[in-house]
Amino acid sequence: MTPKAPIIDWAGLSPLVALLGGAVIVLLVGLLRPRFVREVIVPLLALATFATAAGLGIWQWGEQISLISGALRLDQLAIALMWIICATGAAAVLLSWRAVAPREAAHGEYYALLLTSAAGMLVLVAAQNLVTLFAGLELLSIPLYVLCATEMRRETSLESGLKYLIIGSVGSATFVYGLAFLYGATGSTDFAGIDRALNSSSLVSDPLLLTGIALSVVGLGFKASIAPFHQWTPDVYEGAPTPITAFMAVATKAAAFGAFLRLFDGALLNAQADWGPALAALAAITIVVGNVGALGQTSLKRLMAWSSVAQAGYLLAGVVVATKLGLQATVFYLAVYLFMNIAAFAVIIIRERQTPLGDDIAAFAGLGTTAPLPAAVMTVAMLSLAGIPATAGFIGKFYVIEAAIDGNYAWLGIVIVIGSMLSLAYYLRVVAAMWMLEAPEAPVSTVTGRPALAGGDLDAPAPGAGIEVYAVAAVFGVATLFFGIVPSPLFDLAVKVGSSLTSLF
Amino acid sequence: MAELFFFIAGIGAIAGAVGVVTLRNPFYCVLALVSHLLSLAALFLLLRAEFVAAAQVIVYAGAVMVLYVFVVAYIGGGEQPALRPPVGRGQRMIAGLCTLGLFAELMVATLGSGLKAIDSEGAPYRPGFGSPAQIGELLLTKFLLPFELASFLLLIAAVGAVVLARRRGGVGEAGDERRMSALEFARGPAPLGVGSMAEAAGDIPGGVDAESSGSVSSTIGERGGW
Repeated sequence: MTPKAPIIDWAGLSPLVALLGGAVIVLLVGLLRPRFVREVIVPLLALATFATAAGLGIWQWGEQISLISGALRLDQLAIALMWIICATGAAAVLLSWRAVAPREAAHGEYYALLLTSAAGMLVLVAAQNLVTLFAGLELLSIPLYVLCATEMRRETSLESGLKYLIIGSVGSATFVYGLAFLYGATGSTDFAGIDRALNSSSLVSDPLLLTGIALSVVGLGFKASIAPFHQWTPDVYEGAPTPITAFMAVATKAAAFGAFLRLFDGALLNAQADWGPALAALAAITIVVGNVGALGQTSLKRLMAWSSVAQAGYLLAGVVVATKLGLQATVFYLAVYLFMNIAAFAVIIIRERQTPLGDDIAAFAGLGTTAPLPAAVMTVAMLSLAGIPATAGFIGKFYVIEAAIDGNYAWLGIVIVIGSMLSLAYYLRVVAAMWMLEAPEAPVSTVTGRPALAGGDLDAPAPGAGIEVYAVAAVFGVATLFFGIVPSPLFDLAVKVGSSLTSLF
Repeated sequence: MAELFFFIAGIGAIAGAVGVVTLRNPFYCVLALVSHLLSLAALFLLLRAEFVAAAQVIVYAGAVMVLYVFVVAYIGGGEQPALRPPVGRGQRMIAGLCTLGLFAELMVATLGSGLKAIDSEGAPYRPGFGSPAQIGELLLTKFLLPFELASFLLLIAAVGAVVLARRRGGVGEAGDERRMSALEFARGPAPLGVGSMAEAAGDIPGGVDAESSGSVSSTIGERGGW
């Protein structure tokens, strides 16, 4: 018997091939000598790669096919999440254009790691096989561990990389253990096979299956920073280079929730009675812990980290209900989350490069009078994260709450509302600092927000915030407002995505 | 016979694992880990997973452990002072209680569910399942994509390791210029202080010492580089 070679659908596989091929090209071009090539051509190539992958996604939009003997599933869910990931990646490239991290890590390597991580995220959201799922998770994580540590002369960056590596490894190990249990209980690594096994037998209360579900929730929970697996988030977000923090905050979350949706709302749908209440409890805990944790923060990166924990709770509510509406709400919220989070991080980077205070909230005092434009963007982002009407965040939260109530989890909807009320306290603190405090007269001499460089000095000229950072802030800030007033394009997209998991209704 | 083999391997695995965490000398710890991994390989063989057993011996007990031994040999395998965790008595008490609780929970779970299967036949064995031939075939057919992704993962992990290891000296822009390009490599002698093998061996003085020793340029001139 000769083994039959798998059919390779290159058209369907093209976005993944583009990302991985782009990573190799960027890596090789980064070896060239001229400074211009390293500092301009390489980021441009990385941008072009993200654009190519997104464009190939447009070309493949509407397909619903399985690739390479069921390893990947190309459908609207995968493509929509890939757009979110590519947009985040492109924003991260622009935000790191003049940053310290690519110079320290060498440009080619830095952007190749970024592209590979994005490719891993694409695999994760498209995987419909337990083995592919794990391969995607590792391909996503390992470049990120390195990227977190790329500001090598700053101790906190190294610390963040090491912390992320250790805790991420625990998460990965737990996840693969859970996947092994799922395979053991159902006898199949394919999502379709798992679904069939759960459909046809009384496996639903099998201890093996329950253990598998619990362990894979923990593993994905680490990646999506769901409480109580979130402890790494503030430290890692604070220590990592800010462009990487932005990339992690949005893209990793989108990838983890893509995997959540496909694994739980797809393969394990028939066991929803088992995991539904557990995930709902986790969502409620996450919302409370994230919002309470953010209250006392003065570092904006830590504040955004705690806020991302809370947002993970809101997103999880869309997964818990296991309905088409929940799927749509999750994808919609992820898209909205992209706009408001990247806008906020772009403004944080602007202030980080302009003041010696780093990402401390004091750097924002009086920004409304000295630089109204970044202050306006930050205000929009903060209000949107809090869920104030006329911003995209409000529509997203509305959608999620609607899905929760529709799926008989009304109490979870109430928790979301309470969480949003709590969150106003810290989001509005940032807004108040910008518009109601006086700008400091002279630059403050005590360098509190900026940690000392390990084994280095500060005499290198601080990279200014170039036009590209302002452009990212403006584009994503305007998008936050635009989709808050005219949400229908995003709605249509979410509705189309809703048809990709056919077992939901 | 199988039972005897199982218990020997099982006891070996547990003894090895206990040895890893209790022995003080890191060298013995590594050896205990090797015996633990070998016992695990025997258990895999009992499960008729020949490929996993072989991989366990070759990759873990072989290659990875050799790396460990090298590291231990480099940093000195002598008696290390016992590591004292910087926590108080109360915290250690709580940790102990949590461990006990977890142990009790695991025992309840295992005794309550897992042991039921002990008298049963277990999963049916299909001839050829898990054999190296079948695994090889699966890697090139059904799991082709994860296989390729794993190769890419190894590439990018190597790149990441180089990124983290290269700049340990904390060189900034100046160091950037000192980095060699492929063209320069082809052109000839390396500049000083690039950490070439000849420098390490002391054949030519390295970057830091370059100023202190007066005859650097002449040495280089005579030797024509490395």
